Amino acid sequence: MSRPANIVLLIEDEPKIRRFLRAGFELQGYTVIEAENGSDGLKSATFNAPDLIILDLNLPDLHGSEVLERIRSWSNVPVIILSIVTNEDEKVRLLQAGADDYVVKPFGMAELLARSEAALRRYFKSATESPVVVAGPLSIDLATRMVTLNKQPIRLTRKEYQLLHILATHIGLVVTHDQLVKDIWSGDRRDNIQYLRILVRKLRQKIETDPNHPRLLVTESGVGYRLQAPAEDMASD
Amino acid sequence: MSFGIVSLVTALLFLTEQTIATSLVPIAYLIPVIIAATRWGIWPATLAAIVSMVEADFFFFPPIYSFRVEDPQEAIDLLLFLVVALVSGNLASRLRQETETLRQRERDIHNLYDFLRRLAACFTVPDLISAIENYLSRTLGRPAVFFAARNGGLFEPPKFGAAPQAVMERVTSGAAPMGISGEAVTDRSTRNVWLLRTARSETAILGLVAVNIGTGSSDVLAAMTRRVETILEDVSLTLQRIDIGKAIEDARLRLQSQLLRDAFQGTMSHELRTPLATIRGSASVLESMPLIRGDDRARSLVEAVSDEVAELDGFIQTLLNATRVTAGGICPHLEWADPKDIVNAAIKARARRLATHKIDIEFSEDLPLIRVDVGLIEEACGQLLENAAKYSHSGSNISVRMGRKQDNVIVSICDQGVGITPDELPHLGEKLFRSQRHQATIPGSGLGFWIASIFVEANGGHIDISSEGRGMGATATITLPCSSTTPSDGHNR
Repeated sequence: MSRPANIVLLIEDEPKIRRFLRAGFELQGYTVIEAENGSDGLKSATFNAPDLIILDLNLPDLHGSEVLERIRSWSNVPVIILSIVTNEDEKVRLLQAGADDYVVKPFGMAELLARSEAALRRYFKSATESPVVVAGPLSIDLATRMVTLNKQPIRLTRKEYQLLHILATHIGLVVTHDQLVKDIWSGDRRDNIQYLRILVRKLRQKIETDPNHPRLLVTESGVGYRLQAPAEDMASD
Repeated sequence: MSFGIVSLVTALLFLTEQTIATSLVPIAYLIPVIIAATRWGIWPATLAAIVSMVEADFFFFPPIYSFRVEDPQEAIDLLLFLVVALVSGNLASRLRQETETLRQRERDIHNLYDFLRRLAACFTVPDLISAIENYLSRTLGRPAVFFAARNGGLFEPPKFGAAPQAVMERVTSGAAPMGISGEAVTDRSTRNVWLLRTARSETAILGLVAVNIGTGSSDVLAAMTRRVETILEDVSLTLQRIDIGKAIEDARLRLQSQLLRDAFQGTMSHELRTPLATIRGSASVLESMPLIRGDDRARSLVEAVSDEVAELDGFIQTLLNATRVTAGGICPHLEWADPKDIVNAAIKARARRLATHKIDIEFSEDLPLIRVDVGLIEEACGQLLENAAKYSHSGSNISVRMGRKQDNVIVSICDQGVGITPDELPHLGEKLFRSQRHQATIPGSGLGFWIASIFVEANGGHIDISSEGRGMGATATITLPCSSTTPSDGHNR
């Protein structure tokens, strides 16, 4: 992936975790800056203008969600949350508060790198870039609304396309149920999740090689869905 | 006795005849009448009055030593004496009766007060029962029996005292024994009447009191009923107090276990997982380094580290789940989900530990959406998958099938492993059960299956295990209801 050295800011209080994060990011050509608490992190986010922030929830001074809120009050920089809690409601709250994605500890570096790249890609996508999103054998032309699978055009209903469109614009990133329901049915009725599940099944029938074992449109239990390129899937396993 | 006192007075008067006037004689005779009245009651007093009159006439009124009365004035005196004696005897005996009643009442109040003091010291139901027993047997002064209430609306046989056949029949048999209250049962052989009363609080029935009130009149029956009812009212209040006390104690214990759980889930999981995160993360960075990638030995070592970390993390997750279950804190967060997603996620989450086996998955096409707590079901499937891998040889098959059967979604996980013997089968649902056969050879906590069953049951489903026997493999089957009328508010089946 060709790009100028991205600056990543690590806001994490555990020095040992910062150490391997630094090693992992530097191996991939990132420039790393570190902050060991929330207020230092906020200062660094202002002065160093990072391209990406990795934010731990459990900080000694501020809660991670507060740091996220403050960053979001003036910046759209991609933020990926590190958390030890596997509570789905908490994940959904953070995503709604503006986090781009989350990774639950303990995690492998490949998984974090995949999320980071997806977030950067979405953030730095320029208007001149090709409006075609590719996920393995699937390609979605956001401008012409043309979807092809293995170069063969496939027909989607309006709602199926809407779903795929939202996921494609967030490729590699998780999109919450609530956001999908709100965008597709233009209402935030919570019981529409049944319709969403059924819509996902239908879409999988059309785009997945084996709809019972989806590789492209994957479920994030209790949180939402993610469109991913199969290569990433392999890496995160 | 009255006769004796009167004669004594006669003898004294006879000896002192010279010194006192005849007119004082009737007054002197009032003394034995009043003594008899206050000591023995109205009838002895009446007898004393008549005997006094006769003896006064005989000994002191002329003609002496004769019952004849010559002077009409003296006859009137004697009659007047009789009237006065009878009236004062009556009054005195009534006074005596009143005093007697007062004393009895004081005794009753004292007893009741004693009983209340005992009740105040009652903190458990057995204490309360023993206080009632004590009061009935010692204080009431009537044969009494207490039947403690038992679950299922029946009464236990009495712990003390014996009840006649008629009472036993009424209490132990018959329709709705808990409904007995304020009945009176007559014992046919002795004609004694037994009063039955239940001791209860607003919410619970403590037991049944049976008191023998003899063959007594309706007055005695009413008085005894009042006394029994008085103590039962106090019993009821005490019972309520104990109930409240117990509820407070329960709440305190719950809070304690809640705190313990929070401490474990928060602190412990943080303390244990942070170092794991470092190890896992560092190993994954190493794995990606060209230096390590190029060296097979180094790579296999790093992979071993990653595998063990995954194992440890799984174990911590099991412990966290066990804490959740033990603290009684499972409240399923129900949402509509695709069962395929759940099973796929369970397999993916345990990919490393299942890597040694061939996983063969088959989903039927007619699977409906189910309304469950996705996290709990995923965890339960994961535990069963892990067990399947743990108790079968590496390289063997684990088949995962999911289908629909009537209104249920059925997930079956079938291995070709060591199987389960018929004597192990009934113990499988028990917490910490591990078969003797595997204690030494296969690591485990004995928590996995227990947690899985509780998680599935919390979602209105159940797990069945079957096995052809030793070495024949085992099949775990999760049954989950899928109709839209399935649990909406928690763990009822």
